Amino acid sequence: MSVIDILINYHTGFLEGLLVTLELYAVIVVSGILLGGLLGVFAAEDPILRYISQGMAFFLGAVPTLVFLFWLHYPAQAVFEIVIDPFYTAALTLSIVNIFAISELVRQAIQGFPQQFLIAGRVTGLRTKDIVLKIQLPMLFRQLLPALLITQVTMLHSTLFASLISVEEIFRVAQRINAQIYKPVEIYTALGVFFLIVCLPINLLAYHLKQRFTRDFSER
Amino acid sequence: MIIAKDIHKKFDQRTILNGVDLTIDTGKITCLIGPSGSGKTTLLRALALLEYPDSGIVSVDGQEYNFPKAAETEINPPWPHVSVVFQSLFLWPHLTLRQNILLPAKRRGLPDVHARLEELIRFFEMRDFIDNYPNEASRGQQQRVALARALMLKPKYLLLDEITSALDVEQVAKVLEYLQGVRDQGIGVFVITHLLGFARRAADQVVFLNEGKIEEVGGPEILTTPKSPRLQQFVKLIEAAS
Repeated sequence: MSVIDILINYHTGFLEGLLVTLELYAVIVVSGILLGGLLGVFAAEDPILRYISQGMAFFLGAVPTLVFLFWLHYPAQAVFEIVIDPFYTAALTLSIVNIFAISELVRQAIQGFPQQFLIAGRVTGLRTKDIVLKIQLPMLFRQLLPALLITQVTMLHSTLFASLISVEEIFRVAQRINAQIYKPVEIYTALGVFFLIVCLPINLLAYHLKQRFTRDFSER
Repeated sequence: MIIAKDIHKKFDQRTILNGVDLTIDTGKITCLIGPSGSGKTTLLRALALLEYPDSGIVSVDGQEYNFPKAAETEINPPWPHVSVVFQSLFLWPHLTLRQNILLPAKRRGLPDVHARLEELIRFFEMRDFIDNYPNEASRGQQQRVALARALMLKPKYLLLDEITSALDVEQVAKVLEYLQGVRDQGIGVFVITHLLGFARRAADQVVFLNEGKIEEVGGPEILTTPKSPRLQQFVKLIEAAS
């Protein structure tokens, strides 16, 4: 059975798994960008939030995501004596990882922003609102976008971990199909094709934006 | 006229400016020279009110700014009436050179901005590169755009911090020519420079700053026949080095 045969014969299962993966991913991306972005902006100003953001980013950078996922899933259920839908645990865990990753990106970009570009705006008589909207935000956006896209691709890959706490996402579907027909190379290649189709354009876009925008800061 | 009276400034415990008195006239070029660490940039920033002095008075066309300022006093800085061009020019990299010049003028709602821009394009010979981005322009071209961005808003005073530092001889001569044109428009130009030749040819007034104090002020002739021993030594060192 070829990769194409597998995709055709098991398309219903794959599509269901894909839907769960995309739902999970949507939660992670939206919460990460909204909450992580906000936390990053405030952490750039507030030292307590800065310590929290930095500390959590260090912690989550050191603890494997899978371990963090298990910590939040099994012990939490035992402690509270409740059954938690694994989708929610996966969404919460990966959202936390994404929120602090984005928060640190935003915080560092704001804190490292060259103030002289803003002073150049002030001495040319621009109002604060114009300086923020016309200078600071567009420059920060250009600086952040490539790294942000790459982080989100990594988060898409991380959704695979959800299968290990029984979330019926695409990797778990692939595992189930493999248990039935035992064609691991073909099945995981089909899975790889899916990720390639989604991730490659994002990676290429991130690379293109990085090439285009990072050169902008140079002055000869 | 910009008048600085008895300006003092310390960073931590180090005295940077120690009782500076200075006058900058409209329609004149004032060159500020002095050794590294003598407080030149701090003085420029104090005159532009980018950095508040610890004590002293800065007066811009009669509008006095007294320091130390009372806690409740709101300072309304004289920008862009007094405009500044920095050593690193800080052109906004996401905008074309044309947009860099137009943005402040448009946001301030100035009339005839495009006609004014055309004048500046002609004056600074920027036609060939005006629609490029800053990173696509040479240092000399960026310099002209930074000057044009400041002049677009018709300032009365233009303060320039070592803008010739990264330029070759030909480009320095060109900047000199432009600054003389700017002066002839009645604008007061204040330039920090380490190029004595530039100061000799351009300046109506030369100010020598040493260890936070003005040691000598006069016409460009003070660079040929300096009175203070420190200026004599400084001129000798610079000329030997060049």
